[in-house]
Amino acid sequence: MFLALREMRHSKARYSLIIVIMLLVSFLVLFVTGLARGLAYANISAVENMPANYYAVQKDADHAFRRSQLSAAELSAARSIAGEQNAASLAVQMSTITADQADAKADVTFFAVDMNGMLAPKVTQGTGITNETQGSVVADSKLEESGVTIGSTIKDQASGLTFKVAGFVDDNSYSHTPVVYINTLDWKAMRQGFGQSGKDAEAVPYNVIALKISSAQVSDITEKLGNVEVITQKQAIASIPGYSAEQNSLLMMIVFLFVIAAFVLAVFFYVITIQKTSQFGILKAMGTKMSYLAWSVVGQVLILSVASLAVSLLLTFGMNMGLPDSMPFQLEGQTILLTCMLFVGMSLLGSLISVARVARVDALEAIGRAGA
Amino acid sequence: MSTAKLMMKQVTQTYGDGDGAMTVLNQLDLTVNEGEFVAVLGPSGSGKSTFLSAAGALLTPTSGEIFIDGEPLSHKDKSELTELRLRKIGFMFQSAQLLPYLKVEEQLLYVAKLAKLSTKEAKERSSYLLKRLEIWERRNHYPEKLSGGQKQRVAIARAWMNKPAILFADEPTASLDFSRGREVVRMIADEVTSEGKAAVMVTHDERMLEWCNRVYHLQDGVLVEQ
Repeated sequence: MFLALREMRHSKARYSLIIVIMLLVSFLVLFVTGLARGLAYANISAVENMPANYYAVQKDADHAFRRSQLSAAELSAARSIAGEQNAASLAVQMSTITADQADAKADVTFFAVDMNGMLAPKVTQGTGITNETQGSVVADSKLEESGVTIGSTIKDQASGLTFKVAGFVDDNSYSHTPVVYINTLDWKAMRQGFGQSGKDAEAVPYNVIALKISSAQVSDITEKLGNVEVITQKQAIASIPGYSAEQNSLLMMIVFLFVIAAFVLAVFFYVITIQKTSQFGILKAMGTKMSYLAWSVVGQVLILSVASLAVSLLLTFGMNMGLPDSMPFQLEGQTILLTCMLFVGMSLLGSLISVARVARVDALEAIGRAGA
Repeated sequence: MSTAKLMMKQVTQTYGDGDGAMTVLNQLDLTVNEGEFVAVLGPSGSGKSTFLSAAGALLTPTSGEIFIDGEPLSHKDKSELTELRLRKIGFMFQSAQLLPYLKVEEQLLYVAKLAKLSTKEAKERSSYLLKRLEIWERRNHYPEKLSGGQKQRVAIARAWMNKPAILFADEPTASLDFSRGREVVRMIADEVTSEGKAAVMVTHDERMLEWCNRVYHLQDGVLVEQ
Protein backbone atom coordinates (compact mmCIF):
# COMPACT_ATOMS: atom_id res chain seq x y z
CA MET A 1 0.00 0.00 0.00
CA PHE A 2 3.06 2.25 0.24
CA LEU A 3 2.84 3.13 -3.43
CA ALA A 4 -0.96 3.13 -3.64
CA LEU A 5 -1.44 5.67 -0.87
CA ARG A 6 1.38 7.95 -1.94
CA GLU A 7 0.20 7.97 -5.51
CA MET A 8 -3.26 9.03 -4.41
CA ARG A 9 -1.71 11.70 -2.20
CA HIS A 10 0.25 13.04 -5.15
CA SER A 11 -2.52 12.95 -7.76
CA LYS A 12 -5.33 14.22 -5.57
CA ALA A 13 -7.31 15.77 -8.40
CA ARG A 14 -7.27 12.64 -10.52
CA TYR A 15 -8.37 10.34 -7.74
CA SER A 16 -10.92 12.81 -6.40
CA LEU A 17 -12.54 12.82 -9.80
CA ILE A 18 -12.82 9.05 -9.74
CA ILE A 19 -14.23 9.18 -6.22
CA VAL A 20 -16.85 11.72 -7.29
CA ILE A 21 -17.97 9.56 -10.19
CA MET A 22 -18.02 6.45 -8.04
CA LEU A 23 -19.85 8.38 -5.38
CA LEU A 24 -22.57 9.45 -7.77
CA VAL A 25 -23.00 5.97 -9.17
CA SER A 26 -23.01 4.27 -5.78
CA PHE A 27 -25.42 6.88 -4.43
CA LEU A 28 -27.73 6.17 -7.32
CA VAL A 29 -27.40 2.44 -6.72
CA LEU A 30 -28.29 2.81 -3.06
CA PHE A 31 -31.04 5.27 -3.72
CA VAL A 32 -32.74 3.27 -6.45
CA THR A 33 -32.38 0.15 -4.33
CA GLY A 34 -34.03 1.94 -1.45
CA LEU A 35 -36.81 3.18 -3.69
CA ALA A 36 -37.35 -0.26 -5.16
CA ARG A 37 -37.54 -1.77 -1.70
CA GLY A 38 -39.78 1.04 -0.52
CA LEU A 39 -42.05 0.72 -3.49
CA ALA A 40 -42.22 -3.03 -3.04
CA TYR A 41 -43.07 -2.58 0.60
CA ALA A 42 -45.69 0.04 -0.12
CA ASN A 43 -47.14 -2.30 -2.68
CA ILE A 44 -47.38 -5.60 -0.88
CA SER A 45 -46.67 -5.00 2.79
CA ALA A 46 -49.95 -6.64 3.78
CA VAL A 47 -48.87 -9.94 2.25
CA GLU A 48 -45.24 -9.59 3.28
CA ASN A 49 -46.22 -9.02 6.90
CA MET A 50 -48.49 -12.04 7.05
CA PRO A 51 -47.15 -14.77 9.28
CA ALA A 52 -47.86 -17.35 6.55
CA ASN A 53 -45.07 -18.85 4.49
CA TYR A 54 -47.23 -20.69 1.95
CA TYR A 55 -50.55 -20.05 0.28
CA ALA A 56 -52.96 -22.53 -1.19
CA VAL A 57 -54.56 -21.21 -4.36
CA GLN A 58 -56.81 -22.79 -6.92
CA LYS A 59 -54.85 -24.74 -9.48
CA ASP A 60 -55.93 -22.77 -12.55
CA ALA A 61 -55.69 -19.37 -10.83
CA ASP A 62 -52.16 -18.71 -12.06
CA HIS A 63 -50.99 -17.89 -8.51
CA ALA A 64 -53.21 -14.79 -8.47
CA PHE A 65 -55.18 -14.44 -5.24
CA ARG A 66 -58.25 -12.85 -6.76
CA ARG A 67 -58.64 -15.44 -9.47
CA SER A 68 -58.66 -18.26 -6.98
CA GLN A 69 -61.78 -19.57 -5.27
CA LEU A 70 -61.74 -22.09 -2.48
CA SER A 71 -64.48 -23.48 -0.33
CA ALA A 72 -64.94 -24.20 3.35
CA ALA A 73 -64.38 -27.89 2.65
CA GLU A 74 -60.89 -27.19 1.40
CA LEU A 75 -60.13 -25.02 4.41
CA SER A 76 -61.04 -27.77 6.82
CA ALA A 77 -59.02 -30.27 4.79
CA ALA A 78 -55.99 -27.96 4.94
CA ARG A 79 -56.52 -27.46 8.66
CA SER A 80 -56.55 -31.19 9.23
CA ILE A 81 -52.97 -31.33 7.98
CA ALA A 82 -51.51 -28.00 9.01
CA GLY A 83 -53.32 -27.64 12.30
CA GLU A 84 -56.16 -25.38 13.30
CA GLN A 85 -54.06 -22.26 13.87
CA ASN A 86 -51.73 -22.71 10.91
CA ALA A 87 -54.27 -22.42 8.14
CA ALA A 88 -56.45 -19.39 7.70
CA SER A 89 -58.82 -18.36 4.99
CA LEU A 90 -58.36 -15.09 3.17
CA ALA A 91 -60.80 -13.37 0.87
CA VAL A 92 -59.66 -10.43 -1.23
CA GLN A 93 -61.91 -7.84 -2.77
CA MET A 94 -60.74 -4.66 -4.42
CA SER A 95 -63.15 -1.81 -4.25
CA THR A 96 -63.63 1.90 -3.88
CA ILE A 97 -64.89 3.52 -0.71
CA THR A 98 -66.27 6.92 0.10
CA ALA A 99 -65.83 8.47 3.49
CA ASP A 100 -68.70 10.50 4.78
CA GLN A 101 -67.00 13.20 6.75
CA ALA A 102 -63.96 13.49 4.56
CA ASP A 103 -65.70 13.86 1.25
CA ALA A 104 -63.05 11.64 -0.24
CA LYS A 105 -62.89 8.55 -2.39
CA ALA A 106 -60.19 5.96 -2.06
CA ASP A 107 -59.33 2.65 -3.64
CA VAL A 108 -58.97 -0.02 -1.03
CA THR A 109 -58.65 -3.76 -0.81
CA PHE A 110 -60.95 -5.62 1.55
CA PHE A 111 -59.33 -8.53 3.34
CA ALA A 112 -61.88 -10.82 4.92
CA VAL A 113 -60.18 -12.88 7.59
CA ASP A 114 -60.97 -14.95 10.63
CA MET A 115 -60.41 -12.48 13.47
CA ASN A 116 -59.25 -15.33 15.73
CA GLY A 117 -56.89 -16.78 13.16
CA MET A 118 -53.31 -15.97 12.37
CA LEU A 119 -54.23 -13.35 9.77
CA ALA A 120 -56.08 -11.19 12.26
CA PRO A 121 -54.80 -7.59 11.97
CA LYS A 122 -52.54 -6.23 14.71
CA VAL A 123 -54.29 -3.02 15.60
CA THR A 124 -52.04 -0.08 16.44
CA GLN A 125 -54.70 2.56 17.00
CA GLY A 126 -58.28 2.20 18.21
CA THR A 127 -59.79 -1.18 18.87
CA GLY A 128 -59.92 -4.41 16.96
CA ILE A 129 -62.98 -6.27 15.81
CA THR A 130 -64.17 -9.76 16.57
CA ASN A 131 -65.87 -12.38 14.47
CA GLU A 132 -69.19 -11.29 15.90
CA THR A 133 -69.10 -7.53 15.39
CA GLN A 134 -71.00 -6.38 12.40
CA GLY A 135 -70.35 -3.29 10.32
CA SER A 136 -66.94 -2.54 11.82
CA VAL A 137 -63.55 -2.63 10.09
CA VAL A 138 -59.87 -2.21 10.81
CA ALA A 139 -58.13 -0.17 8.13
CA ASP A 140 -54.56 0.58 7.09
CA SER A 141 -53.37 3.86 8.56
CA LYS A 142 -52.70 5.17 5.06
CA LEU A 143 -56.43 5.84 4.85
CA GLU A 144 -55.84 8.58 7.39
CA GLU A 145 -54.30 10.59 4.58
CA SER A 146 -57.69 10.55 2.86
CA GLY A 147 -59.26 12.05 5.96
CA VAL A 148 -60.61 8.85 7.47
CA THR A 149 -60.35 8.77 11.27
CA ILE A 150 -61.35 6.28 13.94
CA GLY A 151 -65.10 6.35 14.14
CA SER A 152 -65.56 7.52 10.54
CA THR A 153 -68.06 5.77 8.42
CA ILE A 154 -66.89 4.44 5.06
CA LYS A 155 -69.14 3.19 2.33
CA ASP A 156 -68.24 0.43 -0.07
CA GLN A 157 -69.37 1.70 -3.47
CA ALA A 158 -69.79 -1.73 -5.05
CA SER A 159 -72.02 -3.31 -2.40
CA GLY A 160 -73.44 -0.16 -0.87
CA LEU A 161 -72.58 -1.41 2.65
CA THR A 162 -71.34 1.06 5.22
CA PHE A 163 -68.73 0.31 7.86
CA LYS A 164 -67.43 2.08 10.90
CA VAL A 165 -63.62 2.30 11.25
CA ALA A 166 -62.83 0.79 14.62
CA GLY A 167 -59.06 0.83 14.43
CA PHE A 168 -55.98 1.26 12.31
CA VAL A 169 -53.10 -1.05 11.44
CA ASP A 170 -49.72 -0.03 10.06
CA ASP A 171 -47.99 -1.19 6.88
CA ASN A 172 -50.83 -3.08 5.30
CA SER A 173 -50.96 -2.44 1.58
CA TYR A 174 -52.01 -4.65 -1.22
CA SER A 175 -51.33 -3.60 -4.80
CA HIS A 176 -50.59 -0.07 -3.56
CA THR A 177 -54.01 0.26 -1.96
CA PRO A 178 -54.68 0.37 1.79
CA VAL A 179 -56.14 -2.83 3.17
CA VAL A 180 -59.44 -2.79 5.04
CA TYR A 181 -59.96 -5.82 7.27
CA ILE A 182 -63.47 -7.14 7.71
CA ASN A 183 -64.68 -10.27 9.44
CA THR A 184 -66.36 -13.20 7.75
CA LEU A 185 -69.81 -12.07 8.77
CA ASP A 186 -69.47 -8.80 6.87
CA TRP A 187 -67.82 -10.68 4.01
CA LYS A 188 -70.95 -12.79 3.57
CA ALA A 189 -73.05 -9.63 3.67
CA MET A 190 -70.84 -8.09 1.03
CA ARG A 191 -71.13 -11.12 -1.23
CA GLN A 192 -74.90 -10.98 -0.92
CA GLY A 193 -74.64 -7.31 -1.73
CA PHE A 194 -73.26 -8.34 -5.08
CA GLY A 195 -76.51 -10.11 -5.77
CA GLN A 196 -75.53 -13.63 -4.93
CA SER A 197 -77.90 -15.73 -2.99
CA GLY A 198 -77.02 -16.62 0.56
CA LYS A 199 -76.31 -20.16 -0.43
CA ASP A 200 -73.81 -19.23 -3.08
CA ALA A 201 -72.00 -16.93 -0.74
CA GLU A 202 -71.74 -19.76 1.70
CA ALA A 203 -70.31 -22.01 -0.97
CA VAL A 204 -67.64 -19.64 -2.22
CA PRO A 205 -66.37 -17.90 0.84
CA TYR A 206 -62.63 -17.59 0.28
CA ASN A 207 -59.97 -16.81 -2.30
CA VAL A 208 -56.95 -18.45 -0.76
CA ILE A 209 -55.80 -20.25 2.34
CA ALA A 210 -52.77 -18.86 4.12
CA LEU A 211 -50.61 -21.60 5.56
CA LYS A 212 -47.84 -21.75 8.11
CA ILE A 213 -46.40 -25.16 7.35
CA SER A 214 -43.17 -27.00 6.79
CA SER A 215 -42.07 -27.79 3.26
CA ALA A 216 -42.83 -31.46 3.89
CA GLN A 217 -46.49 -30.66 4.45
CA VAL A 218 -46.73 -28.84 1.13
CA SER A 219 -47.09 -32.02 -0.90
CA ASP A 220 -49.52 -33.52 1.63
CA ILE A 221 -51.84 -30.59 1.21
CA THR A 222 -51.50 -30.51 -2.57
CA GLU A 223 -52.36 -34.18 -2.66
CA LYS A 224 -55.27 -34.05 -0.27
CA LEU A 225 -56.93 -30.95 -1.66
CA GLY A 226 -56.73 -32.01 -5.29
CA ASN A 227 -57.42 -28.83 -7.19
CA VAL A 228 -55.11 -26.50 -5.28
CA GLU A 229 -51.58 -25.44 -5.77
CA VAL A 230 -49.45 -24.47 -2.79
CA ILE A 231 -47.19 -21.53 -3.57
CA THR A 232 -44.57 -19.79 -1.49
CA GLN A 233 -44.99 -16.30 -0.11
CA LYS A 234 -42.47 -15.06 -2.69
CA GLN A 235 -44.51 -16.51 -5.55
CA ALA A 236 -47.64 -15.04 -4.09
CA ILE A 237 -46.08 -11.60 -3.88
CA ALA A 238 -44.74 -11.83 -7.40
CA SER A 239 -48.25 -12.45 -8.73
CA ILE A 240 -49.78 -9.43 -7.07
CA PRO A 241 -50.87 -7.14 -9.92
CA GLY A 242 -48.15 -4.67 -10.88
CA TYR A 243 -45.54 -6.01 -8.50
CA SER A 244 -43.28 -7.83 -10.94
CA ALA A 245 -43.47 -5.15 -13.61
CA GLU A 246 -42.52 -2.49 -11.09
CA GLN A 247 -39.72 -4.41 -9.47
CA ASN A 248 -38.24 -5.77 -12.67
CA SER A 249 -37.78 -2.35 -14.24
CA LEU A 250 -36.14 -1.05 -11.08
CA LEU A 251 -34.01 -4.15 -10.84
CA MET A 252 -32.86 -3.61 -14.40
CA MET A 253 -31.79 -0.07 -13.49
CA ILE A 254 -29.86 -1.32 -10.51
CA VAL A 255 -28.13 -4.03 -12.51
CA PHE A 256 -27.14 -1.48 -15.13
CA LEU A 257 -25.81 0.85 -12.47
CA PHE A 258 -23.62 -1.93 -11.12
CA VAL A 259 -22.31 -2.67 -14.58
CA ILE A 260 -21.71 1.03 -15.25
CA ALA A 261 -19.87 1.41 -11.95
CA ALA A 262 -17.63 -1.51 -12.80
CA PHE A 263 -16.96 -0.20 -16.31
CA VAL A 264 -16.27 3.39 -15.29
CA LEU A 265 -13.77 2.24 -12.74
CA ALA A 266 -12.27 -0.35 -15.06
CA VAL A 267 -11.79 2.12 -17.89
CA PHE A 268 -10.43 4.84 -15.64
CA PHE A 269 -7.92 2.52 -14.08
CA TYR A 270 -7.02 0.93 -17.35
CA VAL A 271 -6.18 4.31 -18.86
CA ILE A 272 -4.16 5.29 -15.81
CA THR A 273 -2.38 1.96 -15.91
CA ILE A 274 -1.50 2.33 -19.57
CA GLN A 275 -0.10 5.77 -18.83
CA LYS A 276 2.10 4.24 -16.18
CA THR A 277 3.38 1.32 -18.24
CA SER A 278 6.98 2.51 -18.16
CA GLN A 279 6.76 3.13 -14.43
CA PHE A 280 5.65 -0.43 -13.89
CA GLY A 281 8.58 -1.59 -16.04
CA ILE A 282 10.96 0.38 -13.82
CA LEU A 283 9.36 -0.95 -10.67
CA LYS A 284 9.67 -4.50 -11.89
CA ALA A 285 13.28 -3.98 -12.96
CA MET A 286 14.07 -2.66 -9.51
CA GLY A 287 12.79 -5.88 -8.06
CA THR A 288 9.14 -5.18 -7.18
CA LYS A 289 7.13 -8.37 -7.09
CA MET A 290 4.05 -8.65 -9.30
CA SER A 291 1.93 -9.52 -6.28
CA TYR A 292 2.95 -6.23 -4.70
CA LEU A 293 1.95 -4.27 -7.80
CA ALA A 294 -1.32 -6.15 -8.13
CA TRP A 295 -2.15 -5.45 -4.52
CA SER A 296 -1.27 -1.83 -5.12
CA VAL A 297 -3.81 -1.50 -7.95
CA VAL A 298 -6.48 -3.51 -6.14
CA GLY A 299 -5.80 -1.57 -2.96
CA GLN A 300 -6.41 1.71 -4.72
CA VAL A 301 -9.69 0.46 -6.15
CA LEU A 302 -10.70 -0.84 -2.74
CA ILE A 303 -9.94 2.48 -1.06
CA LEU A 304 -11.77 4.45 -3.74
CA SER A 305 -14.87 2.27 -3.78
CA VAL A 306 -15.15 2.02 0.00
CA ALA A 307 -14.59 5.74 0.44
CA SER A 308 -17.20 6.64 -2.15
CA LEU A 309 -19.63 4.11 -0.67
CA ALA A 310 -19.19 5.58 2.79
CA VAL A 311 -19.99 9.08 1.56
CA SER A 312 -22.91 7.92 -0.54
CA LEU A 313 -24.36 6.01 2.43
CA LEU A 314 -24.32 9.26 4.39
CA LEU A 315 -25.90 11.03 1.44
CA THR A 316 -28.56 8.36 1.15
CA PHE A 317 -29.50 8.60 4.81
CA GLY A 318 -29.53 12.38 4.60
CA MET A 319 -31.72 12.24 1.52
CA ASN A 320 -34.01 9.74 3.19
CA MET A 321 -34.67 12.12 6.06
CA GLY A 322 -35.55 14.86 3.61
CA LEU A 323 -37.90 12.72 1.56
CA PRO A 324 -41.64 13.31 1.81
CA ASP A 325 -43.63 10.45 3.34
CA SER A 326 -45.50 9.87 0.12
CA MET A 327 -42.21 8.76 -1.48
CA PRO A 328 -41.68 5.25 -0.26
CA PHE A 329 -38.09 4.52 0.67
CA GLN A 330 -36.81 1.58 2.61
CA LEU A 331 -33.28 0.34 3.10
CA GLU A 332 -32.63 -2.37 5.66
CA GLY A 333 -29.17 -3.17 6.99
CA GLN A 334 -29.12 -6.44 5.10
CA THR A 335 -29.91 -4.79 1.77
CA ILE A 336 -27.27 -2.11 2.40
CA LEU A 337 -24.66 -4.73 3.21
CA LEU A 338 -25.49 -6.77 0.13
CA THR A 339 -25.50 -3.71 -2.13
CA CYS A 340 -22.20 -2.45 -0.76
CA MET A 341 -20.55 -5.83 -1.09
CA LEU A 342 -21.79 -6.16 -4.66
CA PHE A 343 -20.55 -2.68 -5.47
CA VAL A 344 -17.08 -3.31 -4.08
CA GLY A 345 -17.06 -6.71 -5.76
CA MET A 346 -17.92 -5.23 -9.14
CA SER A 347 -15.27 -2.54 -8.71
CA LEU A 348 -12.64 -5.13 -7.92
CA LEU A 349 -13.75 -7.14 -10.92
CA GLY A 350 -13.21 -4.04 -13.05
CA SER A 351 -9.75 -3.53 -11.61
CA LEU A 352 -8.67 -6.99 -12.68
CA ILE A 353 -8.29 -5.74 -16.27
CA SER A 354 -5.69 -3.30 -15.04
CA VAL A 355 -3.97 -5.95 -12.98
CA ALA A 356 -3.78 -8.15 -16.07
CA ARG A 357 -2.26 -5.24 -17.96
CA VAL A 358 0.33 -4.68 -15.25
CA ALA A 359 1.18 -8.36 -15.31
CA ARG A 360 1.96 -8.11 -19.01
CA VAL A 361 4.42 -5.23 -18.55
CA ASP A 362 7.94 -6.54 -19.03
CA ALA A 363 10.73 -5.30 -16.80
CA LEU A 364 12.80 -5.12 -20.00
CA GLU A 365 10.87 -2.01 -20.96
CA ALA A 366 12.85 -0.11 -18.36
CA ILE A 367 16.10 -0.43 -20.30
CA GLY A 368 16.95 1.74 -23.27
CA ARG A 369 14.04 4.07 -22.73
CA ALA A 370 14.42 7.80 -22.81
CA GLY A 371 11.84 10.04 -21.23
CA ALA A 372 9.77 9.32 -18.19
CA MET B 1 40.50 -12.96 -4.43
CA SER B 2 36.84 -12.52 -3.66
CA THR B 3 34.22 -13.66 -6.13
CA ALA B 4 33.64 -11.49 -9.14
CA LYS B 5 30.66 -9.19 -8.79
CA LEU B 6 29.63 -9.95 -12.34
CA MET B 7 30.79 -12.77 -14.53
CA MET B 8 29.42 -13.38 -17.99
CA LYS B 9 30.53 -16.53 -19.77
CA GLN B 10 29.92 -17.22 -23.44
CA VAL B 11 26.69 -15.25 -23.35
CA THR B 12 24.83 -15.37 -26.66
CA GLN B 13 21.55 -13.71 -27.45
CA THR B 14 19.81 -14.18 -30.76
CA TYR B 15 16.47 -12.81 -31.89
CA GLY B 16 14.29 -14.65 -34.39
CA ASP B 17 15.27 -17.96 -35.88
CA GLY B 18 16.31 -19.57 -39.15
CA ASP B 19 17.73 -17.28 -41.82
CA GLY B 20 16.32 -14.17 -40.22
CA ALA B 21 18.12 -14.83 -36.93
CA MET B 22 20.03 -11.89 -35.60
CA THR B 23 22.85 -12.42 -33.15
CA VAL B 24 23.11 -9.46 -30.82
CA LEU B 25 25.48 -10.92 -28.24
CA ASN B 26 27.93 -13.46 -29.54
CA GLN B 27 29.68 -15.56 -26.90
CA LEU B 28 30.38 -12.49 -24.86
CA ASP B 29 32.69 -12.73 -21.84
CA LEU B 30 33.05 -10.17 -19.09
CA THR B 31 34.25 -10.19 -15.50
CA VAL B 32 33.84 -7.23 -13.20
CA ASN B 33 35.51 -7.39 -9.80
CA GLU B 34 35.01 -5.52 -6.59
CA GLY B 35 35.94 -1.85 -6.80
CA GLU B 36 35.81 -1.79 -10.58
CA PHE B 37 33.86 0.65 -12.68
CA VAL B 38 33.47 -0.61 -16.22
CA ALA B 39 32.12 1.36 -19.15
CA VAL B 40 30.56 -0.22 -22.23
CA LEU B 41 30.48 1.98 -25.30
CA GLY B 42 28.68 1.49 -28.51
CA PRO B 43 26.57 3.32 -31.03
CA SER B 44 22.83 2.91 -30.77
CA GLY B 45 21.68 -0.41 -32.13
CA SER B 46 24.89 -2.15 -31.16
CA GLY B 47 23.14 -4.24 -28.53
CA LYS B 48 23.95 -2.20 -25.45
CA SER B 49 20.43 -2.50 -24.11
CA THR B 50 20.41 -6.25 -24.69
CA PHE B 51 23.78 -6.54 -22.98
CA LEU B 52 22.54 -4.59 -19.97
CA SER B 53 19.26 -6.51 -19.82
CA ALA B 54 21.08 -9.82 -19.81
CA ALA B 55 23.67 -8.74 -17.24
CA GLY B 56 20.93 -7.17 -15.12
CA ALA B 57 18.86 -10.36 -14.91
CA LEU B 58 16.02 -8.85 -16.92
CA LEU B 59 16.53 -11.12 -19.89
CA THR B 60 17.53 -14.74 -19.98
CA PRO B 61 20.10 -15.10 -22.78
CA THR B 62 19.77 -17.74 -25.48
CA SER B 63 22.88 -19.46 -24.15
CA GLY B 64 25.74 -18.83 -21.80
CA GLU B 65 25.92 -18.35 -18.06
CA ILE B 66 25.84 -15.22 -15.96
CA PHE B 67 26.89 -14.99 -12.32
CA ILE B 68 25.97 -12.07 -10.10
CA ASP B 69 28.03 -12.01 -6.91
CA GLY B 70 28.79 -15.66 -7.52
CA GLU B 71 25.15 -16.69 -8.02
CA PRO B 72 24.29 -18.27 -11.38
CA LEU B 73 21.21 -16.79 -13.05
CA SER B 74 20.17 -19.80 -15.10
CA HIS B 75 17.57 -22.11 -13.58
CA LYS B 76 16.06 -19.23 -11.65
CA ASP B 77 12.39 -18.54 -12.22
CA LYS B 78 10.87 -15.12 -12.67
CA SER B 79 10.21 -14.40 -9.03
CA GLU B 80 13.66 -15.58 -7.99
CA LEU B 81 15.17 -13.22 -10.55
CA THR B 82 13.01 -10.40 -9.21
CA GLU B 83 14.27 -11.11 -5.71
CA LEU B 84 17.85 -11.21 -6.96
CA ARG B 85 17.45 -7.89 -8.76
CA LEU B 86 16.10 -6.37 -5.58
CA ARG B 87 18.97 -7.48 -3.36
CA LYS B 88 22.01 -7.77 -5.61
CA ILE B 89 21.52 -5.25 -8.37
CA GLY B 90 21.10 -1.52 -8.41
CA PHE B 91 19.71 0.06 -11.55
CA MET B 92 20.12 3.54 -12.93
CA PHE B 93 17.97 4.29 -15.90
CA GLN B 94 18.03 6.87 -18.60
CA SER B 95 16.59 10.17 -17.37
CA ALA B 96 16.55 8.86 -13.80
CA GLN B 97 13.03 7.36 -13.95
CA LEU B 98 12.09 8.30 -10.46
CA LEU B 99 8.51 7.63 -9.47
CA PRO B 100 6.71 10.95 -9.90
CA TYR B 101 4.54 10.51 -6.85
CA LEU B 102 7.23 9.75 -4.30
CA LYS B 103 9.25 12.41 -2.53
CA VAL B 104 13.03 12.08 -2.76
CA GLU B 105 13.44 10.30 0.54
CA GLU B 106 10.49 8.00 -0.17
CA GLN B 107 12.11 6.87 -3.41
CA LEU B 108 14.82 5.35 -1.25
CA LEU B 109 12.54 4.14 1.52
CA TYR B 110 10.44 2.31 -1.04
CA VAL B 111 13.25 0.03 -2.22
CA ALA B 112 14.27 -0.49 1.40
CA LYS B 113 10.70 -1.51 2.16
CA LEU B 114 10.72 -4.00 -0.69
CA ALA B 115 13.90 -5.48 0.75
CA LYS B 116 12.17 -5.57 4.16
CA LEU B 117 14.70 -3.34 5.86
CA SER B 118 13.59 -2.02 9.23
CA THR B 119 12.30 1.55 9.16
CA LYS B 120 15.11 2.78 11.36
CA GLU B 121 17.78 1.14 9.26
CA ALA B 122 16.16 2.47 6.08
CA LYS B 123 16.00 6.02 7.42
CA GLU B 124 19.64 5.92 8.46
CA ARG B 125 20.80 4.52 5.18
CA SER B 126 18.76 6.97 3.11
CA SER B 127 19.93 10.00 5.06
CA TYR B 128 23.51 8.78 4.79
CA LEU B 129 23.25 8.40 1.02
CA LEU B 130 21.32 11.61 0.45
CA LYS B 131 23.78 13.61 2.51
CA ARG B 132 26.74 12.11 0.70
CA LEU B 133 25.19 12.91 -2.65
CA GLU B 134 24.35 16.40 -1.45
CA ILE B 135 20.59 16.29 -1.96
CA TRP B 136 19.57 15.92 1.67
CA GLU B 137 18.05 19.40 1.62
CA ARG B 138 15.74 18.27 -1.17
CA ARG B 139 14.51 15.10 0.55
CA ASN B 140 10.93 16.32 0.80
CA HIS B 141 10.61 17.43 -2.79
CA TYR B 142 8.84 15.60 -5.57
CA PRO B 143 11.01 14.70 -8.59
CA GLU B 144 9.21 17.28 -10.73
CA LYS B 145 10.84 19.99 -8.59
CA LEU B 146 14.37 18.66 -9.18
CA SER B 147 16.84 19.42 -11.92
CA GLY B 148 18.09 16.65 -14.19
CA GLY B 149 21.34 16.35 -12.28
CA GLN B 150 19.58 16.20 -8.95
CA LYS B 151 17.26 13.50 -10.26
CA GLN B 152 20.19 11.37 -11.34
CA ARG B 153 21.78 11.83 -7.93
CA VAL B 154 18.59 10.53 -6.33
CA ALA B 155 18.73 7.66 -8.80
CA ILE B 156 22.29 6.87 -7.71
CA ALA B 157 21.21 6.91 -4.08
CA ARG B 158 18.22 4.69 -4.87
CA ALA B 159 20.42 2.25 -6.75
CA TRP B 160 22.82 1.90 -3.81
CA MET B 161 20.09 1.82 -1.16
CA ASN B 162 19.90 -1.94 -0.72
CA LYS B 163 23.70 -2.35 -0.82
CA PRO B 164 23.67 -4.26 -4.08
CA ALA B 165 26.70 -6.17 -5.30
CA ILE B 166 26.72 -4.32 -8.58
CA LEU B 167 25.21 -1.25 -10.17
CA PHE B 168 24.07 -1.11 -13.77
CA ALA B 169 23.69 2.32 -15.31
CA ASP B 170 21.86 2.74 -18.59
CA GLU B 171 23.03 5.95 -20.24
CA PRO B 172 22.97 7.86 -16.96
CA THR B 173 24.21 11.03 -18.61
CA ALA B 174 21.93 11.02 -21.64
CA SER B 175 19.63 13.78 -20.47
CA LEU B 176 22.31 15.92 -18.83
CA ASP B 177 24.70 18.56 -20.11
CA PHE B 178 28.38 17.80 -20.18
CA SER B 179 29.46 19.12 -16.81
CA ARG B 180 26.45 17.69 -14.95
CA GLY B 181 26.96 14.39 -16.74
CA ARG B 182 30.59 14.25 -15.63
CA GLU B 183 29.51 15.04 -12.09
CA VAL B 184 27.09 12.12 -12.07
CA VAL B 185 29.64 9.69 -13.43
CA ARG B 186 32.18 10.87 -10.86
CA MET B 187 29.65 10.21 -8.12
CA ILE B 188 29.02 6.69 -9.37
CA ALA B 189 32.78 6.11 -9.36
CA ASP B 190 33.05 7.51 -5.82
CA GLU B 191 30.35 5.18 -4.57
CA VAL B 192 31.99 2.18 -6.19
CA THR B 193 35.20 2.95 -4.35
CA SER B 194 33.66 3.83 -1.00
CA GLU B 195 31.14 0.98 -0.90
CA GLY B 196 33.58 -1.56 -2.28
CA LYS B 197 31.12 -2.60 -4.97
CA ALA B 198 31.21 -2.68 -8.76
CA ALA B 199 29.45 -0.80 -11.52
CA VAL B 200 28.83 -1.22 -15.22
CA MET B 201 27.84 1.82 -17.24
CA VAL B 202 26.48 1.66 -20.73
CA THR B 203 26.92 4.88 -22.67
CA HIS B 204 27.55 6.31 -26.09
CA ASP B 205 29.30 9.38 -24.75
CA GLU B 206 33.07 8.95 -24.93
CA ARG B 207 33.73 12.02 -22.84
CA MET B 208 32.46 10.37 -19.68
CA LEU B 209 35.14 7.75 -19.26
CA GLU B 210 37.63 9.58 -17.04
CA TRP B 211 36.82 7.62 -13.87
CA CYS B 212 36.28 4.22 -15.42
CA ASN B 213 38.76 1.44 -14.68
CA ARG B 214 38.11 -0.30 -17.95
CA VAL B 215 36.39 0.70 -21.15
CA TYR B 216 34.89 -1.74 -23.65
CA HIS B 217 33.41 -1.28 -27.07
CA LEU B 218 30.48 -3.49 -27.95
CA GLN B 219 31.20 -4.62 -31.49
CA ASP B 220 29.53 -7.47 -33.37
CA GLY B 221 28.21 -8.91 -30.16
CA VAL B 222 31.50 -9.07 -28.27
CA LEU B 223 33.28 -6.66 -25.97
CA VAL B 224 36.57 -5.25 -27.17
CA GLU B 225 38.74 -3.61 -24.56
CA GLN B 226 40.22 -0.25 -25.43
